[in-house]
Amino acid sequence: MASVHCSRGLTVPRSSLRLAPRITPIIAWTAPFSTTPAVSKVAGAPKKAFQVIGRHIRRGKVAQNSKKKPQIVRAKKPQPGQRKAFRKRIQLSNNNAAVVDGLPVLEAETMANKENLCRMVGLPDKLVDQLRALEAFKPTQFWGLFRKPHMLVRTETVSLMERLNEAATQKQTLRTVLTGGKNSGKSLMLLQAMSHGLLNEWVVINIPEAQDLVNANTEYSPIPNSSPLQFFQPAYCLALLQKIAKANGEVLKQYKLSKDYSELQLIHLPEDGTLYDLAAAAKEAEFAWPVVQALWHELTAVPGRPPVLVTIDGLSHLMKQSAYRDPSFHIVHAHDLTLVRLLVDALAGNTAFANGGAVLAGTSRSNAPRSPSMDLALAQVAAEKAGEVAPSPDPYRRDYDARVYEAVRNVDVLEVNGISKLEARAVMEYWAASGVLRSQVNETTVTEKWSLSGHGILGEMERAALENSRL
Amino acid sequence: MVFILGVNFSERKLVKKALESFYALGPSTSARILAKYSIHPLAKVGSLPPKTVTSLTAELSGMTIESDAKKIMRENIKRLKDMGSYRGRRHAMNLPVRGQRTRTQIETAKKLNRIERRA
Repeated sequence: MASVHCSRGLTVPRSSLRLAPRITPIIAWTAPFSTTPAVSKVAGAPKKAFQVIGRHIRRGKVAQNSKKKPQIVRAKKPQPGQRKAFRKRIQLSNNNAAVVDGLPVLEAETMANKENLCRMVGLPDKLVDQLRALEAFKPTQFWGLFRKPHMLVRTETVSLMERLNEAATQKQTLRTVLTGGKNSGKSLMLLQAMSHGLLNEWVVINIPEAQDLVNANTEYSPIPNSSPLQFFQPAYCLALLQKIAKANGEVLKQYKLSKDYSELQLIHLPEDGTLYDLAAAAKEAEFAWPVVQALWHELTAVPGRPPVLVTIDGLSHLMKQSAYRDPSFHIVHAHDLTLVRLLVDALAGNTAFANGGAVLAGTSRSNAPRSPSMDLALAQVAAEKAGEVAPSPDPYRRDYDARVYEAVRNVDVLEVNGISKLEARAVMEYWAASGVLRSQVNETTVTEKWSLSGHGILGEMERAALENSRL
Repeated sequence: MVFILGVNFSERKLVKKALESFYALGPSTSARILAKYSIHPLAKVGSLPPKTVTSLTAELSGMTIESDAKKIMRENIKRLKDMGSYRGRRHAMNLPVRGQRTRTQIETAKKLNRIERRA
């Protein structure tokens, strides 16, 4: 190269020396992918003041300190409580599911009738509204997959409803605790009992989550001059009264009050009002507990009133120390909360129901604190029922609670476990007719799902068959 | 807005948090105060009846919190300094008091330890 240059330098006059114009490499540099947010690509974006020629070469005016503010798109934050409402929402119909024709609609005696065994029954719209008011449906249940809510009449259902009828006719109190494996349908059995009660014009009182009463998430207030100090829960009582009035309004309106309640100083209670007026009279939380007491007295002590059904879900929460503290900072036992006391007295049989009725309590297998005394009492009752030797308390345990044991000792136990293959077939045919289950329903598939779900645990069957279509 | 001991709290603030915002009032004391007036742990300041707010203020005004507690703490440090003890000197020198190494991680001491400590 050097020799070429040298010879050129000698032969070509210096003035006419022309350098070849420099060729600027125009490299269109593009990244293999971009992480730029899509918003910066909008049409109205301002034009750049400089021209980018190469990777590091820019022509034109480059503003040195023009730091662009990053465009952050702020999504609107949900309102307080909105996320919880979404998490706890209950969807009872789905327009994408097929309509299932030919199934009976629930009537007063449908579930007590043995002919309806192993059949799916639909819930009438009015009943659905009432059950919704009572918070009988749970967000974990699979209602949202189907066009309309239906439920299975199983063997336990029929026997329970027959006993409810018997209690109403003989004016006795049925006191039953539902036990059984996880996901076996205990809460749904409570819902069926509530439906039966509402259709037969009982007054239904539901405690959808017993833990709400004891986990110190609701207000409490001491009752003066009570010994040991007792507490009532004004906000919860008010909400409970409103639920009772909303769900049982029509029944409550038929009965006049038996005595004058002017000592409660309720402004909204009219003269010779009905039970509904009483339930609806408490507009402020302070007056809620005396009104609950008055309503309870009217329903249980005065003859000629409708039977009462009390349902509690998650019983073991009521059978332990609560999370509340008394003024001297001692832990309050759940039974020292007046509303819990009322429910437990009813369950233990200390309250006489003049018009008959039932107290049904469901245990939970997923959210259940340990309550050794309750477990022991229930195990003893179950063993006696089965004719086996009743288990005795563990001598090495100290956490037995005599109050709890006394409360649960005399109840009846209804074991809710797997459904039979016939029942499983009825459920699966309903799923298939709704278009949720996409396989043929025959002996093989029914047996498959039934076995997969631990011999017909209904929740597990749903999980095995429907989980992939759940939203 | 609710005034507790002359401090203005938002109605959405937890009562427990409002109480613990006072110097020298921690979780255990606040839990005891809540129990004393039967206020549940999730109660918001806005949900308290005026009577309870007044009694809370009365309760707090009888306690050694805020400037009283700070004064006691300053007096304790002053005693150490007046004695000419090592701990007193370390407080005054803006260095850790309890034998920590000083090569790194003495931010808390640098922040707090002064001749006249503030908090």
